[in-house]
Amino acid sequence: MPETDVMPELSLASAAGLTGSGKPLSVTRLRKTYGGVTAVDEVSMEIAAGEFVTFLGSSGSGKTTTLMMIAGFCEPDSGSVVVGGRDVTRLAPQKRGLGFVFQQYLLFPHMTVWENVAFPLQLRGVSKAEQRRRVGETLEMAGLSAMARRRPRELSGGQQQRVALCRALVYRPPVILMDEPLGALDKKLRDQLQNEIKRIQQELGLTVIYVTHDQEEALVLSDRIAVMRDGRIDQFDTPQELFERPRTPFVADFLGAANFLPGHVEQRTSGHTLVRLDTGGVVKARPQAGTEGARVRAAVQPGRLALCPPDDGFCTGTVETVTYVGTLVRVTVRPLGGAATELVRLELPAGRAPDLGERVGLTADPANVSVFPDTEHGG
Amino acid sequence: MIELRSTPAGRITLAVLSTLILLFLALPIIVIVVTSFGKDAFGSFPPEAWTLDWYTQLFADGSKWPAALSLSALVAAMTTVFSLILGMTAATALVRSELPLRSAVYGLVLAPLVIPQVVIALGLFLLFEPAAMLGSPIAIALGHTVLASPIAVMILMATLKGIDERLEDAAASMGANRLTVWRRITLPLAMPGMVAAGIFSFITSFDEFFISQFLSSVDTVTLPVQVFNVLQYNVDPSVTAVSAILIAVAVVALALVGVVRKLSGSGKQDGLLPTEPGLGLPAGSETAS
Amino acid sequence: MAGTALAPTPAPAAPAPAPGKRGLGRALSDRRTRFGLLNATPVVVYLLILFVYPIFSTLMLSLKGEEGGFTLQWYTDAFQGANLEILLTTLRISAETSLLALVVGFVLASAISRLKPLWAGLAMLVVVVPHFISALVRTYGWIILLGDNGVVNNALTDMHVPGAPVQLLYNEIGVVIGTTAVMLPYTVLLLFAVMKGIDRRLLAAAASMGAGRITIFRRVYVPLVAPGLVNAGVLCFILCLGYYLTPALMGGEKQTMVASLIDEQVMKQNQWNGASALGIILLLLTFAGLLLLRLLKSAGEALRNRGTAS
Repeated sequence: MPETDVMPELSLASAAGLTGSGKPLSVTRLRKTYGGVTAVDEVSMEIAAGEFVTFLGSSGSGKTTTLMMIAGFCEPDSGSVVVGGRDVTRLAPQKRGLGFVFQQYLLFPHMTVWENVAFPLQLRGVSKAEQRRRVGETLEMAGLSAMARRRPRELSGGQQQRVALCRALVYRPPVILMDEPLGALDKKLRDQLQNEIKRIQQELGLTVIYVTHDQEEALVLSDRIAVMRDGRIDQFDTPQELFERPRTPFVADFLGAANFLPGHVEQRTSGHTLVRLDTGGVVKARPQAGTEGARVRAAVQPGRLALCPPDDGFCTGTVETVTYVGTLVRVTVRPLGGAATELVRLELPAGRAPDLGERVGLTADPANVSVFPDTEHGG
Repeated sequence: MIELRSTPAGRITLAVLSTLILLFLALPIIVIVVTSFGKDAFGSFPPEAWTLDWYTQLFADGSKWPAALSLSALVAAMTTVFSLILGMTAATALVRSELPLRSAVYGLVLAPLVIPQVVIALGLFLLFEPAAMLGSPIAIALGHTVLASPIAVMILMATLKGIDERLEDAAASMGANRLTVWRRITLPLAMPGMVAAGIFSFITSFDEFFISQFLSSVDTVTLPVQVFNVLQYNVDPSVTAVSAILIAVAVVALALVGVVRKLSGSGKQDGLLPTEPGLGLPAGSETAS
Repeated sequence: MAGTALAPTPAPAAPAPAPGKRGLGRALSDRRTRFGLLNATPVVVYLLILFVYPIFSTLMLSLKGEEGGFTLQWYTDAFQGANLEILLTTLRISAETSLLALVVGFVLASAISRLKPLWAGLAMLVVVVPHFISALVRTYGWIILLGDNGVVNNALTDMHVPGAPVQLLYNEIGVVIGTTAVMLPYTVLLLFAVMKGIDRRLLAAAASMGAGRITIFRRVYVPLVAPGLVNAGVLCFILCLGYYLTPALMGGEKQTMVASLIDEQVMKQNQWNGASALGIILLLLTFAGLLLLRLLKSAGEALRNRGTAS
């Protein structure tokens, strides 16, 4: 079976009685230390039924530890986990009834695809006939019916991950936890499975908690993203909010690889903040941090910058590199004036590419420029 | 590959020498198997005429061999059960949990492999003699288990290490309790290792001489003890046939392990042979008795 | 199994706390620890009763006088007259056997380590299969081979070798041949493991600097194999010390070893205390050998560390 087959329509899912099984989940002041080091520090969040939430962060940010505490594989030092109104904090994993999809698939090698998917139903004492019906329907939904008699090692990576997904869906858990489930797959397959996961989640109304370090994946899949760093949540918001109104330099950098332009606050009004950049120009930004005169950094995503005639924008510079990436073109500009030597990165539609060495001005919508105090470095 | 070429003379010398050494290892075994079919049990090699008499004599009336054989089989079977139970629990403790004093427990489990078997046998004799348990098959099996369990532990530790522990966690996440996880996931996956550990435990006991010698009574004599007695005190030509049977049992057992290894589909899966880095290959028959 | 394999490993900066550090009480209350203790209990209890306690009572018996009370009499007995001779014989035969097994094993292991995988596998089979066949049976094979009318002597007679047939049984030649055959798989396997790990390009490198074959062997190959040689030699020696079967069946009066003496004292003379003392002496010799191995190992490591530091 080719890897590129599309999942059949999901009307089957409703036939399998899978829809609307998602339950809300709340986490309160969850905390975990290893030795003297705090891995997760007072993490709290409310997740609604049917919501797709992603924990986004680099390794060591505490995202996986948080997920494992929700799953029960790891006991929190303090705090609580409540699923559908039931406190499960001290329960063993097998008593929580959650679903889990692992990065390494973890299909049972001694069972066929069918037996793997039937396994959780057998644990629940589901009758043979009911098992046949539900496993059959779930496999059909994932386009795996032809593989039912095969062993996991005879399947490709993408197929194995779909079996793992079926195995977690088949018993209608109130919340499904996914730990970088696509991490071991190549880019093309990852994109395809992202779509499938998202579609199944929406159609079935599943509550999903997804862990990844890939911001693009998080943006595609999530209703809300919790950006994590050093065991804390930096910001828990919708993708759009995170992208357009990052609350910390870390979030700005992590989600969009923002440009950080050093300067100081020249003027604060009710509508916006004016920042005098070290390169000379003044940029208009959202009203955020900083009293007048304070050292700040103005952050703006490469995709939110536009070109304008020299000296018309907040910054003027010469075009240093131009790289075509499909329909986009990536441009770097070396700002003139001041001590700043860091290049500014832009992403423009391919038709608007400047020439190398051209003198250009830079502008941005004030709503897309954030200001952060210059105390910590994001990234 | 950068390789230092050896001289033809050196290569020939080495080839001849190593062939002789391999012959040195194989010859005693070949001689027994061939002689066991020869008319003249102790005589010329190769035999001038062939016969199956020595094998039929084993089961003739008044022969002591059937009793010894069945006792050895019984003891070996009990040893296998004891050793698998101890081996599986110990391997689980050593591989799958946090164990205080882990290295002490590990050392204790492997210690019987390096302690002289005379000392173990003597100690067991001093334990069972006052309890009037000399000659009891259970006592002999308990003694053999001291030697067999380290081998089982080593094999099963390697087996458990080869099973992704997260598979067990995955089953737990779906609602399987510990017993179900063990029955449905761990046990089926550990089966090749269990079979190998069982086979090695069996032949360790079946071939064991020294502990059996100390713990046997006049009526209960295991096969190796009987062989030893015949070799030392009287002449019974059928001992050659018994020896050939012992060889066959060991070869069949090793072949079985090989088959299990093949069937389990993982040439990569280690641990079906009892090897341990620090000790080399301290398994096998009563090599140190 | 205890459900924490999935728990993310703490960052390298945060090593898992040692059980002692967080208190044994905490450690014991941990699910995973309780599970471990539960599973370790059968084997530990078993070995304490059937392995540690018997050896301990052997020790006690060896220190007990005939009328009770503490005595070292059995140990002084062991180091006197015929008993001392037997001890020395044991050491001598063990040394001869280990040396022979080491040399022969070295030749075979280095030959196998140069073979193509298929041939190496077959050769290894010839080494390993006998190892799992009863040593008693293999010894019997040697008795057939080495007897006055055995294969070896017949061959020697046919070739008109002067002095044939040669006495090969019930003397030291027989014992050493038989015991070496039993010990050989150990040395071959241990040495093979070390030799497999040697980068043979190092030998070529030495040759490129102008080293001759003997120099390469002496200055490069042997030093690289040395840890394996020490390991195999000492282990072989330890195993020989308590060995019973082959010396008992293939040796004469003069080849009686300690294990035979213990057997005789227990089975024929009912002299348990003396046997216990001999057993404890064997045990101590074994410990000494293992200790020597450990010391040599750490000395070797220290030497290497100094080499890298300077």
